[in-house]
Amino acid sequence: MKRWDLIVIGTGLAGLTAARTAIEMGAKVLIIGRGMGSVTLFGNTIDVLGCIPPETDMEEGITRWIATNPHHPYARTGWAGIAESLSAFRGLFPPPYTFDTVGSGNSLVPTGAGTLRPTYLLPVTMTAGAGISEADTLIVGLKGFKDFQSDTVSLHLQCRGVNLSLPRYGLEGLTAIALARLMDEEPFRERLGEAIRHQMAGEKRIGLPAILGFRAPADVLKTLETVTGARVFEIPMLPPSIPGLRIFHRYREILIAKGATFLMGNPVTAAELKDGRCAGITVHNPPLSTVYRAESYVLATGRFLGGGLWADMERIAEPLFHLPIFQPESRGLWFRERFFQPEAHPIHRAGIVTDEYLRPVDAEGEVILKNVRAAGSILAHHQAIEEHSREGIDIATGDLAARRSLAS
Amino acid sequence: MTHTDEIPTPPRNLPDVCVRCATCMAVCPVSRVTPRFPGPKQAGPGAQRFRSASEASVDDWIELCTACRLCDTVCPTGVPISELNLMAKAKYLDERGRTFRDWLLVRSDLFGEWASRFSRIVNPLMKNRTIRWLLDKVLEIDRRRALPEYETPTFREWFSTRPAASEAAGRPRIAYFHGCFTNTNEVDVGKASVALLEAHGFSVIIPPQRCCGIPRLGVGDLRGAREMGLRNLSLLLPTVREGTDIVFSSTSCGLMLRHEYGPLLNLPGAEELAKRLFDICELLLRLREEGKQAVQFRPLPMRAAYFAPCHMKSLNIGLPALELLRCVPGLDIRLIEAECCGLGGLYGFKKEKYAITEEIGRDLAKEVARIDPEVILTDCEGCRMQIRQLTRRKVLHPVQLLRFSIDTHDKGERPLVRRQ
Repeated sequence: MKRWDLIVIGTGLAGLTAARTAIEMGAKVLIIGRGMGSVTLFGNTIDVLGCIPPETDMEEGITRWIATNPHHPYARTGWAGIAESLSAFRGLFPPPYTFDTVGSGNSLVPTGAGTLRPTYLLPVTMTAGAGISEADTLIVGLKGFKDFQSDTVSLHLQCRGVNLSLPRYGLEGLTAIALARLMDEEPFRERLGEAIRHQMAGEKRIGLPAILGFRAPADVLKTLETVTGARVFEIPMLPPSIPGLRIFHRYREILIAKGATFLMGNPVTAAELKDGRCAGITVHNPPLSTVYRAESYVLATGRFLGGGLWADMERIAEPLFHLPIFQPESRGLWFRERFFQPEAHPIHRAGIVTDEYLRPVDAEGEVILKNVRAAGSILAHHQAIEEHSREGIDIATGDLAARRSLAS
Repeated sequence: MTHTDEIPTPPRNLPDVCVRCATCMAVCPVSRVTPRFPGPKQAGPGAQRFRSASEASVDDWIELCTACRLCDTVCPTGVPISELNLMAKAKYLDERGRTFRDWLLVRSDLFGEWASRFSRIVNPLMKNRTIRWLLDKVLEIDRRRALPEYETPTFREWFSTRPAASEAAGRPRIAYFHGCFTNTNEVDVGKASVALLEAHGFSVIIPPQRCCGIPRLGVGDLRGAREMGLRNLSLLLPTVREGTDIVFSSTSCGLMLRHEYGPLLNLPGAEELAKRLFDICELLLRLREEGKQAVQFRPLPMRAAYFAPCHMKSLNIGLPALELLRCVPGLDIRLIEAECCGLGGLYGFKKEKYAITEEIGRDLAKEVARIDPEVILTDCEGCRMQIRQLTRRKVLHPVQLLRFSIDTHDKGERPLVRRQ
């Protein structure tokens, strides 16, 4: 029976990164996702620690953050681990479609809700959106495309917005996916560029929904900028995320090219535990259950949406290995009084507590399973939503979990 | 890999498990090219909440689902989306009735052997412009779609008349489910499968078998699919019960036998069959990884591109053909980065759907042009048909190339012909 060096459970950004680090280190890797993973839902830019002010240098900011948050996942990786794993991530995207910072810290980019959101690494298709000002920007929507309302976005950003229609193309009712596919066609995007140019009144930047193609987004950007004579940027919006799909596809492409086995579409339903180790896991594709075995395992199943954590009416549990979950003492303490308020809801800190090598530990700090490591948002002691740290945690801990797995 | 007996019960048929995340919209090949189909989120769990057994179907776009099942493979909450679509399609077509064309197309297994016998007459007729015009106007089988040619003799005839080298003493037996298309239209796939299995030390047997029934699912004919399934189970279970594994070379037949007879159609004995049923490359790769055979591949210095069929993704066994092809020295093998070929089986022959299948296929054709391979390899006959039509290039089953890489007397179809 085949034995893998590493089995990664979860195809979100943490799992993908763990698999990629392991495959680059020459390991035999199996990666298993119940579905496609959350990077295709929300993945757009790479947040690392958006809650620190934009002018703060990221290295300084993280170092201070770790000093005051010693249990945070970043305390396991340190700034060095974050920097190294982010650099490896950027290596996945060679020019022209690159991920870069604007300055040495966070920058503010517009969202599909018309707000400004702090983030760290931006794809080249979004950099022109950093630091927009009301006078120089035109927000462009498409008539009949319900996922992006240019008037809402422009109202909040206090700039001008228009809704275009291209009657000859019959865009009514098209999805973001269908539009992005059309953008891959040069004649279509030239035509759209022309239509935008006719609507411009001296603006120097154009904001579009994030639909700038799958195959060559930098080429799409170039065409639009050439035709309009303005800088163009895409704005993240509702799922599924086209920029997130670009990230997912790139990881999958490289993983399969380097020999990883990629399973997707069925859950891991059981783990075989023996002598404080995981001996195998079961994937259920009805009517068959198949057991896969490896030296080490990375659990990167995310929180509630990914299925890594389950909550019933009383408590939160981890369904696969039945690992203990750090959580508020009772359900009454899960949420604060109001949904929207600056402080995080206590439930957001829930998750798996690990040792410094990302191995889950019990209440006494003892390692539970010697060859299992946890990575990504399933880890305890972070508030990725409020911290704007989701992708940074995924990438840094995914990378670390794979390194530790192969080092032992 | 071992199959264990424990069967957990994930939620099934529950549209309310859907969290509306729209991941399925990212992969649906149909809604990607036309707004006429609302996409899996809407067509599956979305519309299901409004469907009632006692009320007439209103969702006439449900027929536009190709049943590629890609939506099922990406859903993070395990909604059986394609099954919801299939049930809705079955109800819709039960109410409206099926056309004579659909009745005829799903019975191609019945006239296939006959057409094979008279292939010298049938093949030119199928290319005749007047006949294609008539098929287009009367039956609405699109005249732009190249119809597959029939071959004489059939695979079964060839197998039964060859010298009985196959039953060599002491060799482990393996059974081969060839499927209809290999039998009457792509006999070389069967010959290559037999050659490869024999080179790996097996004695190959061909159990009696019928159409797997997946074409009937395509037109929502659950009763017809059940009948085919029951017949196949009674024909195949004796082989399985004597301890012989069965391999298939057609991805869609394999998916039907392995994963639809049981969970969807609830046929007795389905699970017993599923546990003994393997994709041919899955089996060969496993033998290789377990070090149980020492077949050396000869170098094949050429550039090839592999396309993973949608139903291979549903089998969820990775890409065994690609991994095997990588073991061939000198072979420069690339993966075609495209989600779906677009054919959807018989879907692509229907006049009202032809344009959709062509538009979906354009993405794949562009990727092929970028790679510019000397040969394209894919496990599914539907994909092969579509890619041939889209690219006019040589398209083979992976076993046809692998057979070329081992020393056998039967050299079969040459892979090096550049264009057809």
